[in-house]
Amino acid sequence: MALSTIFLTVFLLALLSLRTYQSEVLSETLPLTPESLNVSINSAHQRLHLQWTIHNLAYHQELKMVFQIQISRFKTSNVIWKESYSTTVKQNQGLHWSWESKLPLECATHFVRVRGKVDDARIPEPKFWSNWSRWEEADAQNSLGPDLLFLFPEDKLVEEGSDVTFCYVSRNHQHNISCYLEAAQIHIDQLDPRVSTFKLKNVSFIRRTGTNIFCEDPGVAMKGTVLFVSKILEEPKDFFCETQDFKNLNCAWDPGSDTTLPKQPSQSYTLFESFSGKKMLCEHRNFCNWQVAQDSQEMYNFTLVAENYLRKRRVSILFNVTHRVHPMSPYNLFFENISATNATVTWKVHAIGNYSTFLCQLELLGEGKVIQQQNVSVKVSGEYLLDDLEPDTRYTARVRCAYANHFWKWSEPISQKFSTSEAAPSEAPDVWRNVRLVSGRPTVTLFWKPLSKSQANGKILFYKVIVENPDKPSKFEGLSIPAPANSTELPLNGSSYQIHVTAHNSVGPSPASVITVSGDPGNREVEEERVNITEDGFSVSWKPQAGAPAGYVVEWCDRPQDLPCDPQWKNLGPNATSTVIDSGAFRPGVRYNFRIYGISTERMAHLLERKTGYIEELAPSDNPRVVTSHLTSHSFTLTWKDYSTESQPGFIQGYYLYLKSKVGEQCLPGFEKTGLTDDSVYCKHRIDNPEQKTFVMENLQPESVYEFLITPYTSAGEGPLGAFTKVTTSSEYSHALVLILLPMIFFILLFTIVCYLKSQWLKEKCYPDIPDPCKSSVLSLIKSKENPHLTIMNVNDCVPDAIEVINKPEGSKIQFVGASKSLTEAEFTKPTYLYLLPTVKNSPGPGPCICFENFTYNQAASGSGSCDPFPITPQVPPGQRGPLTSRGNLLKALEKNYMNSLGEIPSGEASLNYVSQLVSPMSGDKDNLPTNPPEPILCSEYKMQMALPLGLASPPPSENSRLSSTALLDQGEHYR
Amino acid sequence: LSPGAPVSPAEPISQAYSLALYMQKNTSTLLQTYLQCQGSPFSDPGFSAPELQLSSLPPAAVSFKTWHALDDEERLSRAQGAFLALAQHLQLVGDDQSDLNPGSPILLAQLGAARLRAQGLLGNMAAIMTALGLPVPPEEDTLGLVPFGASAFERKCRGYVVTREYGHWTDRAVRDLALLKAKYPG
Repeated sequence: MALSTIFLTVFLLALLSLRTYQSEVLSETLPLTPESLNVSINSAHQRLHLQWTIHNLAYHQELKMVFQIQISRFKTSNVIWKESYSTTVKQNQGLHWSWESKLPLECATHFVRVRGKVDDARIPEPKFWSNWSRWEEADAQNSLGPDLLFLFPEDKLVEEGSDVTFCYVSRNHQHNISCYLEAAQIHIDQLDPRVSTFKLKNVSFIRRTGTNIFCEDPGVAMKGTVLFVSKILEEPKDFFCETQDFKNLNCAWDPGSDTTLPKQPSQSYTLFESFSGKKMLCEHRNFCNWQVAQDSQEMYNFTLVAENYLRKRRVSILFNVTHRVHPMSPYNLFFENISATNATVTWKVHAIGNYSTFLCQLELLGEGKVIQQQNVSVKVSGEYLLDDLEPDTRYTARVRCAYANHFWKWSEPISQKFSTSEAAPSEAPDVWRNVRLVSGRPTVTLFWKPLSKSQANGKILFYKVIVENPDKPSKFEGLSIPAPANSTELPLNGSSYQIHVTAHNSVGPSPASVITVSGDPGNREVEEERVNITEDGFSVSWKPQAGAPAGYVVEWCDRPQDLPCDPQWKNLGPNATSTVIDSGAFRPGVRYNFRIYGISTERMAHLLERKTGYIEELAPSDNPRVVTSHLTSHSFTLTWKDYSTESQPGFIQGYYLYLKSKVGEQCLPGFEKTGLTDDSVYCKHRIDNPEQKTFVMENLQPESVYEFLITPYTSAGEGPLGAFTKVTTSSEYSHALVLILLPMIFFILLFTIVCYLKSQWLKEKCYPDIPDPCKSSVLSLIKSKENPHLTIMNVNDCVPDAIEVINKPEGSKIQFVGASKSLTEAEFTKPTYLYLLPTVKNSPGPGPCICFENFTYNQAASGSGSCDPFPITPQVPPGQRGPLTSRGNLLKALEKNYMNSLGEIPSGEASLNYVSQLVSPMSGDKDNLPTNPPEPILCSEYKMQMALPLGLASPPPSENSRLSSTALLDQGEHYR
Repeated sequence: LSPGAPVSPAEPISQAYSLALYMQKNTSTLLQTYLQCQGSPFSDPGFSAPELQLSSLPPAAVSFKTWHALDDEERLSRAQGAFLALAQHLQLVGDDQSDLNPGSPILLAQLGAARLRAQGLLGNMAAIMTALGLPVPPEEDTLGLVPFGASAFERKCRGYVVTREYGHWTDRAVRDLALLKAKYPG
C-alpha cells in the first residue's frame, strides 16, 4: 500500500512537472512568427530558396510546426503559390524551403512571405497562426545587362517529354517581338507590358547540340537560347554477374540510350555490393569487373545505379557465385586415328580449383547440320570416339563446356574440321544399255549413272567394263573408262554378252553391275499407247509380265529432239506395275516416248510396252500445207498428205476446215457458221480423223471464189488462223468449149500443114507467075532472027512529051520492076534521057508534073521508086535523088494533089512530065546526054508512068537514092 | 646593303597573296559546315544575320574610298590586327564547338586549319611590313575578358560571326595583297 502510494506520488509529480513545462512553452512561444526571412534565387535550377528562423523557442526546445508560404509575382497581391510546410523547429535553427518556378525567375519579381503555427501534439488546442512575415522580394532583373531583349531560361536541360516555359523581357516599349523554334513561330502570351511567355509542351530530342529558340525584335535586337533535351535515362537491362575463375566477377548490362549532351556528360554507372558494403564506379557504360574477395564470399547482392543530371535508376541482383560460373572456352581440340568411319577427338578444359567438374558437349557437324551430339563429363581432358562416320566426308567437331556443379552457361565453343578417309564404293553403278546397228553391226552403248557421294565413298577414278561371252566363258575383255565418263560404246557380233561394270576409287572397286546384251537389237513391234499425266509427272503403267523376275526398266529421253538423245531410265522392282516419271527437263508441247522393259534373271532386257504422251499438250503451231486438185465447176479436192501428226505439240485430234462466207450466204452442207475474232463469219467443218488428210469440197458454184483454211486441233486448241487460200471454180461451159475448140484447132493445124506441103501446087493453081515479056522466049526468037531493037509493045498510040530511053546493054539482066531488086544492082542503072520537046514555059518555076503509072503492069514497081516523083536539079546526078519512102505515101499524094493540080492549074501553064512507059534501051548517065548521042536502043521496056505536081517535092534526095529513072522536062522548076 | 635594310617586298607579298587566295577557297566551306552543325535557324537555307557583330572583332566591311585611301602601313596593320583577332577568336570558337559539337570532327578540324592559316598569314604580313620597313605591331590580347559564362546560343552566334568575318577579312586581304603586289612587282 505504501509502495503504491509512493508510485502515485511520483506519477503526480511527473505529470505536474510536464504540465508546468508545457505551459512554459506555450507562454513563451506564442506567437512564433518566422523571422529573418531570406529569399535567394538559383537561376540554374530556377528555384527560390527561402531561409528563416524562429527566435522565440526556448533553449534546446524542439517543436513541430507548420508554416504557410505565399509567393506572389509582379506584385504582392498577385499570389501565385501557397504551400504548407511542416517541420520540427529548434531554437535559432535556420529553416529552409525551396520552390521551383515554372516561369524563369529572371522575367518577374517574386514576393514571398511565411507564417507559422505550432503543430505539436504536446501543445493543447487552440493553436493560432502567427503573423505573416514581411514580404520579401526576389528580383533577378537587377542583374540583367544593358541589352534591350532577354530570353530565359538559358541552356536549360530537360528530359524528353517535359514542358518548358520560356519568357523574354524587352526594354523596348514599342516592341514587336516574334519567337521561333526550328523555323516555326511560337505563340506568345503577354504577362506584363515588358514580359511575355511561351510554353513548349512535350519537348522531344532533336540533336545533341540542343534545340535553338530565338526571339527577335526586328531591327532592334535578337536573343536566343538553347534547350538541351536529354533522352530519358533507362533502367539497365539484363544485368548479370558471372565468373570464369572465381577471381573476377564480370558484371554486364544493357545501358539503353546514351543521354550525353553538351550540358550533361554520359550517364554514370556505379556498382554497390551490400554484403561487403563495397562500391565502385564503372569505367564502361555496359560492364564492370569486380574483384572477388579472398574471404570466400559466395553470396553477392549487387545494386547497379545509373545516373545522369536529371535522373537516377537502379537495379539489383542477388546470387551465389558458384551458380554463376561461365567457363572459359576449351582448348587443344585434336583428332586421332581418323579412318573411313571413325575418329577420336580430344580436348582440354581450364580447371577451376581442384574439384571442379565440367560438362562438355561435343557436336559433330556435316554440311552445316548437327549429326551427332554427345555430353562428356571432363575434369581436365576430354576424349570421345566418333563412329558411324561416312567415308571421304568433311566433318566439323565442336566442343563447349559448362560448370557441372551448377549449370549456368556454356562456354564459347571451340571447333575443328577433319575428313574421313576413302573406302571402296558401296554400290554398283546403275547401268543401262542401248543396242543399235552401226554400219550393219550391232553396237551396244552402255550408260551408267554416277554414284552418289554416299555410294562412291571417295573420288571415282575410273569405270571398268568387262565383257564376257557366255559361249566362251574364259574370254574376257576388260575396258577402263576414266571418270567422269558415263557411257561407252562396244561393238558386238550376233551372240549375247554379259557385261560387268564396276566403279573404282583409290581404295578399290564397287560391286559389279551386270547386264546381258544380245547382239540382236530386238526392236520388235510393240503398239504404242498413250501415257497418263498426273500432277507429279507421267504415270507410266504396264501389264505385269511373267518374264520379268528381275524387275522392270522404264526408259525415256529428257530431250527427244536431240539426236542421239541421252537416255534416262528408272529401275523398278519385279512387283511394280506402274511408276511416275518426273523430270525437270519435261517441257510442254514436247512428245515424250517411254519404253518399258522387263528384266530377266540373266539381266536381259525385253521391250514390253511403249507409251507416249505430253506433259502438257499445246495447240498446233503450224497449219498443214494444202494442195488443191481436181478443180471442176462444182468441186475441188484438198490434200495435206505430207502433214505429220507425230511431230506436233499435242495429239492431233482432227482438223477444222474454214471457208470464208459472205454475209447472208448459206454454208455448204456439212459446214456450220462460226464467228472468229476478227468479226468475220466463216463456215466451219470438222474432220475428226487425224489421219484423214484429204477432203473434197463439193456443191460449189461455178466460176466462184472460195477461200479456205485447214487447221489441226489438239486438246489444247486449234492451230493458228493464218492466211486463207483462194480457189476459183471453173465455168460450167468450159468443158463444152474445150470439146469444140480442140478439134477446130486440130483441123486448122492439119490444113495449114497440108497447105504448106502443097504450096507449090496451090501457087500454080491459084496465082501463077506473070510472064515477063522481056524474058519471053518469043522475044528471043524475034531478036535473033529479025530485028535486034524490036520491042514487045508499039508506042505509036501515045503522043509522048518526053521519052525516057534507057539504054540497056544487051545481056544486062537489071530490071527496075522488081521490088526485090537490090540497091547494089540499082546503082548500076544509068538511064539516058532524051529531050524531045521543049516545055511550054522556060521560065523557072513550079509546075505540075504528072506521072502515069500502070499499076496493073507491075505493082511492085510503084514502091521501088521507078516512078520517082522528086524534082531533080540538073546539077544533081540522078543517082543522088531520093526515093519516096513508101508506096502508101506516094499513092496518097497522088490522090490528093493530082486532082488538085488538074483543077487549079491553067492548062496553058500546066506542064506535064510524061514518063514513057517504054523503058529506053539507052544506058549511061543523064549528064552524058550532050556528049553521048543516043545509042541504038537494044531493048525497050515498059516503065511506070506518072505525072507529079512539082509542089509535092519531097525532102532532098540522098546520095543513095538512085532508083529513079524519071526525066524532068523543065529543069528550071526545081529552083525556088 | 646595311643589315636590317628592307629586302624586296615582292616575295613576301607574293607568298601572302598565294596563301590568302588558298584561304579564300575554304572560307565558305568553313562557314557552311559551321552553320550546319548548329541547328535551326543557323542551318536553315539562306541564313544570314549581318546585325550580329562582335565588339572584339573589327568588321571587315569598309567603304571603297576609305579602303583605297589607306596607305601601306594602315592597310597592313589593319589586316594584321584583324587576323590576329581572328586567330584568337577561331581558337575560342574551336573550344566552344568541341564542347557543343564534340561529335563533329570535320568542323573542329576546319576551325583548327583556319586558325593556323590565319596565323600563317600574320607571319607573311609581318614579313611584308619588315620588307617595307614598317613597324610590326605587337601581338595583343584582342579578346580581352572573354565571357566564359556565355550561353550556348551566344557561343553559337559568336562562332557564326567569327567564321563569317574570317571569310570577309580573307576576301579583303586578297584585295589588299593584290594591290600591294601591283605596287611592288617582283
